[in-house]
Amino acid sequence: MSVLNKTKWKGGTLQIQLAKESFLHRLAQEREEAKAKREKSTTGNNNLLEKMEEVNFHMKAVPGTEVPGHKNWVVSKFGRVLPVLYLKNQHKRKIIEYDPSKYCHNAKKIGEDFPNTIPISSLTWEIEGGNDPMSKKWRGEFSDFCGPSKKMKKVLKDKVSTGSLAMNPRSSWVMETTSCTKKTCDSITPNKSPPELGSDTQKFNNVLFQTSGLEIARKKNSMSDDDIDSEDELKAMIAKEENLRRTTWSSINESEDDPFEVIRDNFKSVVHKLHLTGLDIKNNVSCHVSDNDIMGNDCEYDSGDIDEIIAMKKNVDKKTSCKNRENSELSGHFIKVQKRKNNVKSALTHGVKPLNCKSPSHSSSSEDAGSTSELAESEEDKEYNAIMKNCLCVNLTLADLEQLAGSDPKVQNEDTESDSLESTTHCKCDRVSKSPKTPDSFHRGQQCIHSEEIVASLLEGENTCGKQKPKENNLKPKFQAFKGIGSLYGKESMKKSLKGNVAPNNINEDQNSLKHEDPSSISMENGSPHANGSSNKLTPFQHAERANGPNHIQPQKRQSTFESPDRKVVSSSSSEKGSRNPISSLLPLKGKKSLSLSAKTHKIGFDKDSCHSTTKTKVSEEERSDSNSLASFNKSPKVSSRKDSQESKTDLPLSISHSSDVSAKDKHAEDNQKRLAALEARQKAKEVQKKLVHNALANLDGHPEDKPMHIIFDSDSESETEEIPTQEQSHPGEELVKESVGKASRKLFDSSDNEESASEDDSSRFKIKPQFEGRAGQKLVDLQSHFGTDERFRMDSRFLESDSEEEQEEVNEKKSVEEEELAEEEKKALNVVQSVLHINLRNSTSKGSVPAKKFKDIIHYDPTRHDHGTYERKKDDQPKEKMYYNIATDLKEIFQTAKDTSEKEEDTPWNEDCSGEKLEEIQNPATLKSEAEQPGRFTFSFFGSDTKDIKEETYRIETVKPGKITWQEDPHFQDSSSEEEDITEETDHRKPIPEEASVPEKETTRFFFFSKNDERLHGSDLFWRGVGGNISKNSWEARTNNLRMDCRKKHKDAKRKMKPK
Amino acid sequence: MRPLTEEETRVMFEKIAKYIGENLQLLVDRPDGTYCFRLHNDRVYYVSEKILKLAANVSGDKLLSLGTCFGKFTKTHKFRLHITALDYLAPYAKYKVWIKPGAEQSFLYGNHVLKSGLGRITENTSQYQGVVVYSMADIPLGFGVAAKSTQDCRKVDPMAIVVFHQADIGEYVRHEETLT
Repeated sequence: MSVLNKTKWKGGTLQIQLAKESFLHRLAQEREEAKAKREKSTTGNNNLLEKMEEVNFHMKAVPGTEVPGHKNWVVSKFGRVLPVLYLKNQHKRKIIEYDPSKYCHNAKKIGEDFPNTIPISSLTWEIEGGNDPMSKKWRGEFSDFCGPSKKMKKVLKDKVSTGSLAMNPRSSWVMETTSCTKKTCDSITPNKSPPELGSDTQKFNNVLFQTSGLEIARKKNSMSDDDIDSEDELKAMIAKEENLRRTTWSSINESEDDPFEVIRDNFKSVVHKLHLTGLDIKNNVSCHVSDNDIMGNDCEYDSGDIDEIIAMKKNVDKKTSCKNRENSELSGHFIKVQKRKNNVKSALTHGVKPLNCKSPSHSSSSEDAGSTSELAESEEDKEYNAIMKNCLCVNLTLADLEQLAGSDPKVQNEDTESDSLESTTHCKCDRVSKSPKTPDSFHRGQQCIHSEEIVASLLEGENTCGKQKPKENNLKPKFQAFKGIGSLYGKESMKKSLKGNVAPNNINEDQNSLKHEDPSSISMENGSPHANGSSNKLTPFQHAERANGPNHIQPQKRQSTFESPDRKVVSSSSSEKGSRNPISSLLPLKGKKSLSLSAKTHKIGFDKDSCHSTTKTKVSEEERSDSNSLASFNKSPKVSSRKDSQESKTDLPLSISHSSDVSAKDKHAEDNQKRLAALEARQKAKEVQKKLVHNALANLDGHPEDKPMHIIFDSDSESETEEIPTQEQSHPGEELVKESVGKASRKLFDSSDNEESASEDDSSRFKIKPQFEGRAGQKLVDLQSHFGTDERFRMDSRFLESDSEEEQEEVNEKKSVEEEELAEEEKKALNVVQSVLHINLRNSTSKGSVPAKKFKDIIHYDPTRHDHGTYERKKDDQPKEKMYYNIATDLKEIFQTAKDTSEKEEDTPWNEDCSGEKLEEIQNPATLKSEAEQPGRFTFSFFGSDTKDIKEETYRIETVKPGKITWQEDPHFQDSSSEEEDITEETDHRKPIPEEASVPEKETTRFFFFSKNDERLHGSDLFWRGVGGNISKNSWEARTNNLRMDCRKKHKDAKRKMKPK
Repeated sequence: MRPLTEEETRVMFEKIAKYIGENLQLLVDRPDGTYCFRLHNDRVYYVSEKILKLAANVSGDKLLSLGTCFGKFTKTHKFRLHITALDYLAPYAKYKVWIKPGAEQSFLYGNHVLKSGLGRITENTSQYQGVVVYSMADIPLGFGVAAKSTQDCRKVDPMAIVVFHQADIGEYVRHEETLT
């Protein structure tokens, strides 16, 4: 350097120095140095501390003792060694010495329990509750999972069998369980670091979470019987698989890491960003978000058609993993499957373009399937085979896709095909650029990671926590595996869709087929966006991102949707029919790409967010997407999807899946019933109360006159009926008028008599020993009391003196004085009452309460009686039309309440229309009958040829008569009565037959109801008996005699029988 | 304590007859024993003979009440029925009014019965006829005077008064001091 320095070269002096270290180099060096320093310092510190501690421990831990060899260090409370501080006082220029040992009592030691940290896994908690469907839901348990999933699997089975291979039911079971567990994990512990993020801590967290989630899932599974079985199976499978894992573990790990890095490199820009964002979100927001975000990131970095890409990768991965596992027996199968794929491809290529649309989605599903298949592998060898078969199916789909792609533009190798497919079909620049760079290695690396890791993670996570650390990397892929399960279904659906495309007519064949078709249709949708939406690469990103957030937010909703897979299937099937065509139609429409894309992103987000584990979820997602595409081409796919799913739930009443809902409904119904019952009981109680009140009121004050009106009227009527015969015709009116008052007065007397008699009775009661009555009796009583109860001196009636009668009377008089006073008072009161009631009566009559009274006094017409002759009509005069009318109206007024109508009333209407109509209404069948009975007598006919006769009849109405009688002595009614009298007189003159006249009278004054010895009944009797009346009578008598004799005989026989015994 | 005079009896009976009509005689002439009316402190008591004799042992100025108070005579010698008579009027009432549950409270607070609160009414009820007011559960709530006849009740608007308030069982609470 010195030689060359300052040498001239090309007309210039060279100045040569040692080159400065490059900045980066220096930086790195410095960092290293810093690191080393730190380590040293830490070690040194530790040493120091150790020394100190040693010293301390050896020392007496008395506060205040100085640490030997260290100036200004003091042992303070709890044996801590603290420095003595010299602090400058702010205000004074004085240095204060702060000796911690002197302030040691201020210090508090934090509880010693603190170090006992709670494991993270135990931080998760469960909602404790009963077996109610609601509480289960709260806990995130959905009973519907198992049933529907089974069905789905069966369907899958069928499909697989049709495809070529048959799936094991067990595997499907395991898948379900795993999916369930994963689901639970997701819901419970959303913090699942994405597989791409390789930080150990994250992995660790994931492991922990997963384990916890698995445990929880197990618990949940235990809730449902079906799950339990699967659990056990799962465990066994996992245990078996573990061994295989370990053997292949190391190699896999190596392979994993490298390809992983490669992948990163390829995707650097996108992936890193995504990861970063995901990480940021994780760190900043919360654990929950991180998972989804990461998942979303995955999707995102794949770009809009992430699904496809991932699927492709995964498929490749599968293949590679299969290859890697060639050691294991299964790999061979896989290869075979691939071969078959190719065959299938050729077969399936019929509907190329529709398939294209579907193909991308299929690829995604296939990817999922692959992961699921991997899971299955881990679980069991056999199952693994079966799953591999499934994978085959997936592969087939992939192959189809590839073929499609190849057919479209450029097809090379299968591996490249997938890439090319993606690139070609989706026209994604990013994808294309990235994929071509490192297709094989990248894919393989992914495969390794995914397949092996997934399996390992599954095995370890479930089996032992201790093994988790080494397999942390493996745990990541679990999610993918979950996705895979969903994808499996998707694959099947894909197949079906393919078939359906080939033969669209067969879509509606069976429910199973429909179900399958549903997913296919869904996949169609998904595919369509891919194909059409290749231009819109970035948009899906956004969608996915958005979707991720909401997905997380509504995991429960999804679960609920998952609960009812059957429903979904059905709904999907139902929607499918409709949707298919629209989807196909949609495909060409690019305007709707965005929608489909969004749906797609939804799918992805759902799958990844929800760990993609459950086929159900997938199905539901697909369904949603379907519903979205079908129902609404709006750009709010999520909302619409939710709505759709909800709608489908509500609409589809499939019992199995709805069990929870149904149970809830039942509960509601039960509650309602209970409420109703309670209400009824209440009403009953109320009624009972009412009755009680009624009874109480009825028994109020012990009144026997609870039904006063009846009693009154009955008594009145009776008395009057009795009186009427005895009294003369002219007087009945009087009676009627006075009835109440007179009755009361009569009663007064009666009652007074009664009272007297009662008093007498009382006296007689006390006269049990008549010898003690009266003054004389008193003497005897005194004597008796004097003698005591000595039998020998009993005072008999023989000792009674004879002068007692007068005195007795006196006593009685004395006693009755008060009573008499009362009686008098009562009399007075009654008189007043009479007067008042008189007034009342008048009032009441004027008010119209009369009619009821009028009919109290019914005059029995007895033709045998001579005095009843007055009721009979004599020869009739010439009737006057006017009179008719008047009579008719009067009748109407008077007999409003009485439904009793005489024939005349009937006839009068006939004559006079206006009045007649009303009267006709009053007629009752009984009267008609009676009329009919006596046709001969009455010459009655509605269309009587003789108007005169009718008129006569109308005149016989005589109903007025009783009224007249009642009013006869009532001054107020004199006018009307007189009028009626006139009429009656006139009518009397007209009457040809006396009986006829009498009959109507009685009837008119009669109540509507029949009474004993009713005239009407007599007439009807005649009618009824007709010809054979006597005969029947005789026969009846004979029969009764015979019967009587028989009875007596039997009685005697019975007696005889009894006697011997 | 003394028996009622003829005039008093008449006034009282006229009043009571407005509510129970001719059933009044059943109060006066009871088959289960002798009952009479007694005037004490301007109040009319309906007493059984038995209780009357017992009450005779108490000096008039110390006697607060006996039997059942039917009402009292005002200074103008009109008779005013008290709610305590309801137990005897309700079983014999000829004209009844049932009021809806919603209107019960209003009536029991001393308000008139509006048509809106009218649940049922005996037909042929004339205007100013004394009526006994029942709840829809047939519990007697009091009595009043029909402000409208039954026919009129159908026509009037729902806020029109149908029954004038006379007495209600709410008075047991509201007039606790004066009721005897």
